[in-house]
Amino acid sequence: MNTVETRELTKIYGSGDTAVTALDSISIHAAEGEFVAVMGPSGCGKSTLLHLLGGLDHPTRGKVIISGQDVAEMTDDALTELRRRQMGFVFQFFNLLPVLSAVENAALPIMLDGVKPDEAKAKATEWLTRFGLADRLVNRPDQLSGGQQQRVAVARALVSEPKLVLADEPTGNLDTRSGDEIAALLREVSQKYGRTVVMVSHDPRIAAYADRIIFLKDGKVIDETVLEQKNGKNAEMVAERMTKLAH
Amino acid sequence: MNLNLTLAARYLAGRKLRTFLTTLAIVFGVVILFGMNIILPSMMQALEANMKAAAGVVDFSVTSVSGEAFDPAVMARLDGIQEITAIAPAFVRTFNLGADFFDNDPATADRITAIQLVGMDPDAVQTLRAFPIASGRFLQTSDSDAAVISQSLADALRLTVGDTLTLPTVNGLTDLTIVGLLPPRTLPGNEEVFVTLGAAQAMGGQPGRITTIDLNVALDAGDQEGRDAVAAEIQSSLGSSYVIGALTSGADVFAALQMGQAILSMFGIMALFMGGFVIHNTFRTVLMERQHDIGMLRAVGASRRTILNLFITEGLVQGVLGTLVGLALGYLFGVGILKFAEGPISTFVNIRLDTPVVEPGIVLLSIFMGIGVTVVAGVLPAVRASRISPLDALRPTSAQADFERERGRGFWVGALLVALSLVMLFIGQDAMIAAGGFVFLIGLVFLAPAIVRPITDMFSVLLGRLYAREGTGEVARGNMLRQPARVAATASATMIGLAVIVAVGAVLTSMTGTMTNLLRKNLGSDYLMVPPSIGLWASNVGASEGLAEELAAIQGVGPVATTRFAGSASEGVAISLLGIDPAIYPQVSGMAFQEGDESAYDDLAAGRSMIVNGAFLLATGAELGDTLELATPDGVQSYRIAAVAADMLNPKVTTAFISQANMAADFGRAEDVLIQLNLEEGAEAESVDSQIRALMHDYPQFNTIAGRAYVEQMLELLNVAFSALYFLLAFLAVPSLIAMLNTLAISVIERTREIGMLRAVGATRRQVRRMVTAEALLLAGIGTGMGLLSGLYLGYSWVVAMEAFFPLEYSFPIAGLIAGLSTGLIFGALAGLIPARQAAKMDVVAALRYE
Repeated sequence: MNTVETRELTKIYGSGDTAVTALDSISIHAAEGEFVAVMGPSGCGKSTLLHLLGGLDHPTRGKVIISGQDVAEMTDDALTELRRRQMGFVFQFFNLLPVLSAVENAALPIMLDGVKPDEAKAKATEWLTRFGLADRLVNRPDQLSGGQQQRVAVARALVSEPKLVLADEPTGNLDTRSGDEIAALLREVSQKYGRTVVMVSHDPRIAAYADRIIFLKDGKVIDETVLEQKNGKNAEMVAERMTKLAH
Repeated sequence: MNLNLTLAARYLAGRKLRTFLTTLAIVFGVVILFGMNIILPSMMQALEANMKAAAGVVDFSVTSVSGEAFDPAVMARLDGIQEITAIAPAFVRTFNLGADFFDNDPATADRITAIQLVGMDPDAVQTLRAFPIASGRFLQTSDSDAAVISQSLADALRLTVGDTLTLPTVNGLTDLTIVGLLPPRTLPGNEEVFVTLGAAQAMGGQPGRITTIDLNVALDAGDQEGRDAVAAEIQSSLGSSYVIGALTSGADVFAALQMGQAILSMFGIMALFMGGFVIHNTFRTVLMERQHDIGMLRAVGASRRTILNLFITEGLVQGVLGTLVGLALGYLFGVGILKFAEGPISTFVNIRLDTPVVEPGIVLLSIFMGIGVTVVAGVLPAVRASRISPLDALRPTSAQADFERERGRGFWVGALLVALSLVMLFIGQDAMIAAGGFVFLIGLVFLAPAIVRPITDMFSVLLGRLYAREGTGEVARGNMLRQPARVAATASATMIGLAVIVAVGAVLTSMTGTMTNLLRKNLGSDYLMVPPSIGLWASNVGASEGLAEELAAIQGVGPVATTRFAGSASEGVAISLLGIDPAIYPQVSGMAFQEGDESAYDDLAAGRSMIVNGAFLLATGAELGDTLELATPDGVQSYRIAAVAADMLNPKVTTAFISQANMAADFGRAEDVLIQLNLEEGAEAESVDSQIRALMHDYPQFNTIAGRAYVEQMLELLNVAFSALYFLLAFLAVPSLIAMLNTLAISVIERTREIGMLRAVGATRRQVRRMVTAEALLLAGIGTGMGLLSGLYLGYSWVVAMEAFFPLEYSFPIAGLIAGLSTGLIFGALAGLIPARQAAKMDVVAALRYE
């Protein structure tokens, strides 16, 4: 079953002569437990796609269907609840609250949902421990490395047990090693914990961790490829493909 | 802990300096509002205690509506009332003695500066109440110079039974022999000196008159219904010229105190208003700083309401903290001032301050205002915060928030208000003009964002010259224009602070000019004999006519003008009547006429006419030419208003001048409470002086001063008072300093990356510092420009409004303008100091990495 799918999704910014079509009738899907990467050059519409999937922005035309519901038809409150309970976000700039500790940051979505602080923190601690941050629970973001901060952000995305995790250039602000770690972590999220992960990236090496890659260009899907996660040569293959598609 | 509270507390703790400064603004407002409102009620309570202590010992006390002494024959009207078991007449007067009467030492203020003289019929009064004599004996009808006092008064004056107590009276000094002592006085209020009715009447210069009828009734204390019925019966027997209950004297003091309280409360509310600006400003900044955080919270599932609550919680935390600290400091402030002022107050208005009074109402008002202002100031930014789209979390920081929309709406509201205020100015009606000043100020607050640009342009020409070689002025200007709304909010806070300074400057300049003239005219006589309590005449002991006659008889003394006092009331409004001799008064003294002219003196001589002051018109609602019924001890008399004029001593007291002949006829008073005299030309000053002083020696209740010196002394005092006012005003500018500091600090934080870039491309630390300083000066310039402009209007409107009380001639407030301008610019430079240093010290690499 598909966790998320889009039907003829179109997003146009502006109007008249200055109108820019960011997405042009895109129909894609991501199945339960699948790790999908969206790739493409700058300005191809990949971030817009992610925003629409997350209900952060409204489509001009077409539908985004999450768990059988059309996102476009939901009120702001319903959308907020959907995000809180069924989605997790990982951002490029981590976006942790500077005044909260690692465990408080990770517990934030369920605390917002009314879970008792102790319970929420216990749950966040579980996830942080799984991600190797057991000894960093009480540290504030500025006391953590970039990789550690992003792991806290992934823990935050998972703490509400969402079906869908959306990641926007999650490694864009990290060094190579930390980037690999986070990509592997996201893969683990889909494989081990059965979540659907949709990740936007322009880095072939990172995208190569996914099960499937969707290539976007000028707001259209121009290619799609399913990866075998065995031979370890995926990164080169994806890079080649990217280069070819760019021309 | 609740998530909102946790976040609020952490965010606030994360920016300690800013939290401190913002909260300080609230603390400041609450301190003023609360502290000031402790001081005056405490004085009022002391006063009330004085008055209540006089009553209450007996079941009912009857006095004249006018507060004056009346004919004892009135008692006969009560003969038919069955329930009355005991009745006694009394002659009660407060004798204000002056600060040094008993110890004769100007260096230390006396503990006893006033006494209550109680004259009574020894036989009758003992049927009413008990006098538990501790030593000696009680008064006897045959006594003429005997007195009974309390042990505590005896101790204070180091006297005992058989000793002599000397008191000033209308006939000079009178010696009383102490025949008995009562237990120490436990009630608040003045110490009492009990004498026989005749003795008291003689000392007060009103033989055969009484001020009070005390009576007891045969009813249980708990029988309120019965008491009410008896009270009604007494009232109907006596008629409307008499009241049952406390003495009405002191009403004038109440009025003066209440007015003072209203003014100080305004001051506090104004400070809180500015505190609100500071908070509003800070919240807008916080909003910008946390755009990312808020967006992220929205993305991970925080609803709009959660964000709204988050901001409001943060406001509440600051509001509650600031208010609590403000209440505590305000209490200390009030108590401190009371302690400090205890001496002077007890000598001047003759009330002893016991405990500071904290009215529940004012606590509530302070809490309501303190927290309310914070929350209200935070609501708009909070609502805006709740509207931030989660998408903002994903975008790179944009320093530029969209405030343009607000400008359009606000501009028109502001323009409308300013236009309205100008119309109000031209209509020319006093109340309109007074209100117009505030409308103008509020209008400017709304207009502010739109006039930031022109004023910035104007000032940046100046700055451009200053910083010509570095181009930093240009950058500073750009930074201002980028955030017109926030700049406007800060500038508005500065504006209000400075507007008040300039406006008060205008009032003060106008007042000084007018008052100097009036002082010379009104009190410029060669000699002045002044009682201890000026303006509050009822509690002074004056002199009988004999003194003035003796003074006039001295070789070399010219005209002697005296002023007499009687209490009265018109339709429930207490009135202070001053009796003058219409023929002599203008030769020695004078008033400033607002309506009518000096021919009114002739009207006074011709019949029942009066010259009233502005406060009188305001309190009674009467107009020139109206005829009013004044309460006298024997019913009412009609007096016509012949002119409106002000004198120097009674501007705030509801006052009417009538002729001494009428005062004697209608009110039975012929006691001089103020004497002014001029010397004849060529008089031998030294010999006249020694003769005058010898004569006045027996009347220590008067302070004899050579008039011209007095005027100079008053003028000096006036100047000191004005300087103190300016100082207080500078205090009011403190919140605007905080606001400016905030805006600047924030603009530095917000542009961290930009400053890093500037440094990276070669700007020196010095240049960055100068850029921020230039920004501060620009900001101050905008606020100052607006402040001076609105201050001029506000000042003019206040002068016009005050003319209702006091004849004022508007003078252009050059001193106020200079004070405002320098305060604004100095504060601007000061406010720039910290952020400028911060910006200059910034590490280039770290700054560039900042997001």
